[in-house]
Amino acid sequence: MVIFAAFLLTVPWTIPALINSFWVSVIAEILIWSLFAASANLLFGYVGLLSFGQALFFGFGMYGVGIGIDQLGLSFWPAFGLGIAASMAMALVAGVFAVRLTWHYFAIITVVFSLIFYFLAVSMKWLTGGDDGINFSLPPTFSFGSSQWSFADANFQYFFILATVAFCFFLMRLVIGSSLGKAFMAVRENDVRASLIGLNVYLIRLTAFVMAGFLAGVSGALFAFFGRYASATYMFYHVSGEGLVWAIVGGAGTLFGPIIGTTVFIIIREVVSTHWEHHSLIVGALAILVVIFAPKGLVGLWRETIDRLMASRAERSIPAKVRIES
Amino acid sequence: MMDTLLLLALNGLIWGLIIALIALGLSVIFGLLDIINIAHGDFFMVGTVLAWFVLEATGNFWVGFLIVPLICFILGALIQRAVIQPIRGAAALSIVATFGVSLILQEVVRMTFGATPRRILPPVEGTLSLFGIQYDIYRLYAAAFSIAALAAFFLFLNYTKIGTWMRAVRHDRETATAMGIPAKLIYVLTFGVGFALAGFGGVVAAPITTVDFRGGVDLLPVCFIAVIVGGLGNLPGTAAAAILLALMEGVIQSVANPTVARISSLVLMSAVLLLRPQGLFKGFAK
Amino acid sequence: MSETILRTENLTKRFGGLTATDNLSLNLAGGRLQAIIGPNGAGKTTLFNLISGLLKPESGRIFFRDRDITGLRPHEISRLGIKRTMQIKSVFNQLSVMENLWITRQASQRFLHPFRPASRDNATRERVEQTLEQVGMTALANRIAGTLSYGDVAMLEIGMALISDPKLLLLDEPICGMSPAETERAVEKIRELARRIDIIIIEHDMEVVFNIADDITVLAQGAILVSGDPDEISNNERVREAYLGRPEDEDYIEEAAHA
Repeated sequence: MVIFAAFLLTVPWTIPALINSFWVSVIAEILIWSLFAASANLLFGYVGLLSFGQALFFGFGMYGVGIGIDQLGLSFWPAFGLGIAASMAMALVAGVFAVRLTWHYFAIITVVFSLIFYFLAVSMKWLTGGDDGINFSLPPTFSFGSSQWSFADANFQYFFILATVAFCFFLMRLVIGSSLGKAFMAVRENDVRASLIGLNVYLIRLTAFVMAGFLAGVSGALFAFFGRYASATYMFYHVSGEGLVWAIVGGAGTLFGPIIGTTVFIIIREVVSTHWEHHSLIVGALAILVVIFAPKGLVGLWRETIDRLMASRAERSIPAKVRIES
Repeated sequence: MMDTLLLLALNGLIWGLIIALIALGLSVIFGLLDIINIAHGDFFMVGTVLAWFVLEATGNFWVGFLIVPLICFILGALIQRAVIQPIRGAAALSIVATFGVSLILQEVVRMTFGATPRRILPPVEGTLSLFGIQYDIYRLYAAAFSIAALAAFFLFLNYTKIGTWMRAVRHDRETATAMGIPAKLIYVLTFGVGFALAGFGGVVAAPITTVDFRGGVDLLPVCFIAVIVGGLGNLPGTAAAAILLALMEGVIQSVANPTVARISSLVLMSAVLLLRPQGLFKGFAK
Repeated sequence: MSETILRTENLTKRFGGLTATDNLSLNLAGGRLQAIIGPNGAGKTTLFNLISGLLKPESGRIFFRDRDITGLRPHEISRLGIKRTMQIKSVFNQLSVMENLWITRQASQRFLHPFRPASRDNATRERVEQTLEQVGMTALANRIAGTLSYGDVAMLEIGMALISDPKLLLLDEPICGMSPAETERAVEKIRELARRIDIIIIEHDMEVVFNIADDITVLAQGAILVSGDPDEISNNERVREAYLGRPEDEDYIEEAAHA
């Protein structure tokens, strides 16, 4: 895992220099969507809640920024704050109701909630621009006297997104390793047993739901800044489904699973679509193949391979006599 | 105003019958295989597309009612064998797998049928005077076909050997297997039946909706809602819920725009889910 | 310490047409190992489910040391100090033995810190290691719970019940599925614990029950048939009748009566 982290850190300096700059923005997009997938992963992989509603919170983050800048004339940080606050608030309100249900029912109600707001967003065109969306120009992120740093600079944009996403993953890592994180997993494994040992299962699920809403909201806000664009299409439940698929293919319940899954799918989309317009076929086939042959996702596959390599190396290093005796 | 209400109500009712068919297909898959079938809306879409192809190839729309469900049944069986069976029912994984199936179905349709939505002209044109309004004759045919299909399905389920086996396996897999019922085969058949039902619904609906490779995405949540509101495993309940849902939306549409109607029915669904998650029709559960 | 540890008043629980718990008024004294026995369907596990808050009664009240706990939610009842094991062993399968115990210990704390690493909690670490020793599972600390033998899972469950300093321990068929060696170890453990903690145990194995119980309550069809100490129970005609059709129990009661 440490290897992965180090790798990610070196990438931003090599890629802009090596390949053309278009790929820098692709990687930036991958980072944004990885965060989104991580939001689905937090709920599904760690708490056992299957949510198709993350696009809803993504949308609130996205529109918080979009409407904040476009209609309320906010500058960068207040708009960012608005997006995050809006998505967390929505997650709290939705969660209070949704988390009372489990499994199938929970999944369905997240679809229902996100559809309600999708239709609202589509119909309130004056506010949201509906499916066409709203475009806006970007205020600077930092201004010190006469110098300005803004997303107009592709490199700054990239590093800001990287920093934000990395920070969020760092937060996630802390939570997962904490007592709360262990409680998440207990609830996932056996919610009856969890309540019997004194865990307030409802509150724990709600906390996770709001945290996931935060992550989705941040990714939505970043997306709005990145594209200077906000559109209702991104609030459709299908988008949530994609995030979920990326997370599961990458490896549900692992920290880096969402990143790996998102990377694979977006790179395939970018690479294949330049040569062949039917890249969705590959995406669909890949999803099926991974699920059949690597049910623990790509990260799981990686771990199993490492384990097997370590095991066979350990065996080979034991002297033959001892091996026979054991 | 009354006329619009009646018109929309009838439209809603008939659309509800169609959705009932599709939702039943989903319920059977969901109930028996415990699979959240994200591709189910696309099964319907494939039905509409196949109806179009049959019409193009033979010039006859009606023959689609025979051919399309058959093709869909075979497709469903194949998908079950190739994709679902190897996963061995890990419910979460089935989401990804059916998502993959959904993408593939949509893309194949896009490749063969194209990306532009098309319309099929109803095989019977004209209107009939009904309760004081002029109503499309084809829609009445659609209602008749849907009712016939629903009836046939329930007869199949309750009076044929395979139908009984399906119910037995759904009720208690272990005992059923112990009694010699081939569970694996039933799973394959179930998926096939599910696809066939949705496909049949597609044929019925094709002349009154657009044939479009994205046509399934909108329908999926409605089907799931019908299944849950009707009660998981409660087939008549699912059918009833679908009809009521669509009827209600149709009625609301007479006083508000379609989006508002959609939103209000969704809000109502949330209320049902939160207050009575076992569904509205508990008494009829089999 | 002969005050009442657990009392129920006219407790009734119905499942559709079936009355699982029938106007049950139970009064169990502390300081004595209480056993609840009865034929299948007598409502023993239902009683435990009612006490631990997993089920809500139709009517009646439950008192834990004079405190009304009727209608409280499971985690609230757990926080009061009532811990239990389940009839079908139930732990956190994908976590290790050590993690199972760890999270159980931390769960009894009011606040779960979302950012501090769980593993830094030294107080918990000590307690977990202590408990591992207590139930003899130190060697299995890093094994994933789902891979343990049935007997080991049962032991883990007992460990989990112990680690949070229970005030009342409800053991639901703790030795079911254990090998004779494991059973002996478990029985010893239970007897030892009973000296410090109030225990109510549901058991089918009559040998164990008559061996360790101080008081026995016999349930049949959701109501108390009779209660008393092992001698009284073994000589009771109605108890033998209730167990008709379970010859091995009958024989044992017969033996115990003439012992």
